[in-house]
Amino acid sequence: MNIHTYEKTWLAVAMVLIVGFIATITYGAVGPGIAMIDDDGGTIDPDTINDDERFSDPGVTHVGGNEYEAAVVAQAWAYTPSEITVPANSTVTFYVTSRDVTHSYTVAGTNVNTMVVPGQVSEMTVEFDEPGEYGILCNEYCGAYHHTMEGKLNVVPEDEFDLTELSTEAPDEAQLGNQTTINTTVSNDMNYDLETTATLEIGNQTVEQDQTVEQDQTVEQDVTVPAHGSETLEFAVDTTDFGTGDHDWTVTVDGHEGSGTLTVTNATEGGDGDA
Amino acid sequence: MAMRNAYIDQFPEEARVIRAALWSSFLALMIGGTLGLIQGLHRTNVLRFIPSQDYYTVLTAHGVLLVITFTIFFLVGIFTWAVTTSLDRGVKDIRFTWGWYAMMSLGTLLVGVSILGGVVDQIPMNADVLYTFYSPFQAHPAFYVGFVLFVVGTWLAGFDWFRTWWAWKKDNPDERIPLPTFMALTTMLFWYLSSIGVAISILAFLLPWSLGIIDSVNPLLTRTLFWFFGHPVVYFWLMPAYMLWYTMLPKLSGGKLFSDPLARVVFVLFLILSTPVGIHHQYLDPGIAEGFKFIAMTNTMFLLLPSLLTAFTVVASMEHGARQRGGEGYLSWLKALPWRDPAFTGMALAGLMFAAGGFSGMINAGLSINYLVHNSWWVVGHFHLTVGTAVALTFMAASYWFIPQLTGKEIWNRSLGLVQVVLWFIGMTFMSNAMHRAGLFGIPRRTAEPQYEGFSFDPAVGTVAEIDAQVALGAALLTLSVYLFITNMVLTTIGGSTSDAIPDNTYAGTLSGPEDSPAIIDNLKLWTSIAVVLVIIAYSLPLASIIDAGGLFGPGIDPWKPSVVVDPSLVLESVRGVMP
Repeated sequence: MNIHTYEKTWLAVAMVLIVGFIATITYGAVGPGIAMIDDDGGTIDPDTINDDERFSDPGVTHVGGNEYEAAVVAQAWAYTPSEITVPANSTVTFYVTSRDVTHSYTVAGTNVNTMVVPGQVSEMTVEFDEPGEYGILCNEYCGAYHHTMEGKLNVVPEDEFDLTELSTEAPDEAQLGNQTTINTTVSNDMNYDLETTATLEIGNQTVEQDQTVEQDQTVEQDVTVPAHGSETLEFAVDTTDFGTGDHDWTVTVDGHEGSGTLTVTNATEGGDGDA
Repeated sequence: MAMRNAYIDQFPEEARVIRAALWSSFLALMIGGTLGLIQGLHRTNVLRFIPSQDYYTVLTAHGVLLVITFTIFFLVGIFTWAVTTSLDRGVKDIRFTWGWYAMMSLGTLLVGVSILGGVVDQIPMNADVLYTFYSPFQAHPAFYVGFVLFVVGTWLAGFDWFRTWWAWKKDNPDERIPLPTFMALTTMLFWYLSSIGVAISILAFLLPWSLGIIDSVNPLLTRTLFWFFGHPVVYFWLMPAYMLWYTMLPKLSGGKLFSDPLARVVFVLFLILSTPVGIHHQYLDPGIAEGFKFIAMTNTMFLLLPSLLTAFTVVASMEHGARQRGGEGYLSWLKALPWRDPAFTGMALAGLMFAAGGFSGMINAGLSINYLVHNSWWVVGHFHLTVGTAVALTFMAASYWFIPQLTGKEIWNRSLGLVQVVLWFIGMTFMSNAMHRAGLFGIPRRTAEPQYEGFSFDPAVGTVAEIDAQVALGAALLTLSVYLFITNMVLTTIGGSTSDAIPDNTYAGTLSGPEDSPAIIDNLKLWTSIAVVLVIIAYSLPLASIIDAGGLFGPGIDPWKPSVVVDPSLVLESVRGVMP
């Protein structure tokens, strides 16, 4: 075959370019270890997402050391949870699946980017070095309000990060002179026990643990929340000396707060005494 | 009149079919281009006069009309010209030719009406599924039926050309396949191979599913079958442009094609490599092992080779033409080229932009860096340089040569044609550079309002407002360019005067002819067999593992019919409702 010399040279340069591209990508895979989304996440029946161990309670959990897992369920047109918070200097493995159509889970402006195909679980591991705030968006058309599908990723300094969550349950009203209870549930998604102190404050005074809380007092309880578990604390409140009216209360655990207002009524006004 | 030897004089019957195909193509270009302007203004928030939910209907129509209807109708017209001209014989039966044209038109009509149903309440259909129609989005059955009719129409068109070639071969047993016919046939061979994927996806899964015959599909499987077809289809759009660069551009430059053998090698490489690369659109997909993605990446990189060879041959042929016209020097020969000819200038500018599009395509092909740009506006910038300029501008430019051939009339206003092709280049320069840059910092594609509540985008260079302004300006210039083109074509066809000065219907001669290449190059069976083997290597294991993991019909995937009547606040309620 008759090929012009210039064309042969060009052919050679083109081949060098192509082989060079393949070589750099290969190096990226085996050297720095850039991994692709693959089939490691496995498959899932979208109808069983609520029963799935990982996706029934999606969010961030601690695996150990500086490793975390984040489970996210995508659905037209929202992510659950919509906001993800992880510490700096951590390695986070995301597991994302879809309840309906194909979405993406994309941290805007970064290479954290995966398709989320119903029936499949996308697994990707990301290293977060520096604290920062990022937008999360869906870049695969998912229906009429596709453009509203977004989320947030917060990478916070390590010393500001925990996986403690607090929820409180208390009656809104109590009759004067009755005893009532403020229940506080503390959950811990770190891979180790959380030893901390729970503090209830009604008004602005502090008293010791085991005492019945009276007006304008704070009470503390030591608590150990097991790894990936939760504990419920009961704060007994004696309203005898409270006086009628609204009393604001705050439960503080490990820097997290839950609060409410207890309305103390006269016996004649009704209201359930012991909740 | 007696001395004129234009295509219409040689093949009046075929010229009518080609005119019909080209007009179908131009109509799609005009509608699709107008929709593009609506999108360009809407996304950038310059002007929003449709609800954002309807943006996706507009986007579906824009995609389908421009990348399927506009490109492929032009292709069938130009391939009919190429086969009949280079074999110097008409099609075997013109009724058959009209038959496939009618089938493609009917298919287009069905698809078009079903998409239009997304914005017209009186049409009880919806196909807001975009050009990719990923399940579990479910379009109206008419959308899938129309798509099938269109593709089968192209298969029959290919059969028409093969049949013409077989007849010619009987009469010319010892001759090499003329280059334009060789290009049309090799292109059709990879088209047959690759469109099997979309045919299976629609006929075995999506159509029966939309008719309620089956309950569920495997979204990853239909998606993979789509991309089995979805990347080769971009070469299907591109090959007619390549053919025009090889067979027309050297002639318009005033010279000859540099190398016929290399042109054949290029088309053989496309035949072999076009299909086993589709998984490079799925680098971010779960359920496909990394090794399969690596194979697709490697094949894709080698697919750069024919395009790089084309770049060389096209430029070398142009230089040859320029020197024939008296051009001299290292670069000053460029001045000797016929820059006043819209057909030449349009094609040359299209080739230049294709080089830029090729570079951004190399980025896309890079397995790891693709994660940064996947589904971002970068990709939209990329394919507006490739299909949106290399293909579209070449087709428009070529029309300034073809329409006189097909009508016997002079172009109504050639200067306006020149303005039109240059305007396209300028408009696309604004639009595509802005889109590429926007993608780098994460602005997504396929999104009506890329303005979010919880965060904003932070460009490294420039501002979001400046990028949006460039896109809107570019879209406006491009749309103006389309209208100038259509105006010129309409006035040429209905108002132009028949002329005896139309040049003869020929294509470029070659400096190095087919005799410089071994006969094995023309062995289509051999190359097709190799293509099939590569497809089996690239696809059998991924498809098997997708079916093995997710089932042939998926793990109970419910259909999702796109609709615009849903209130997003109700949807958020339902999200909360189903969460534990």
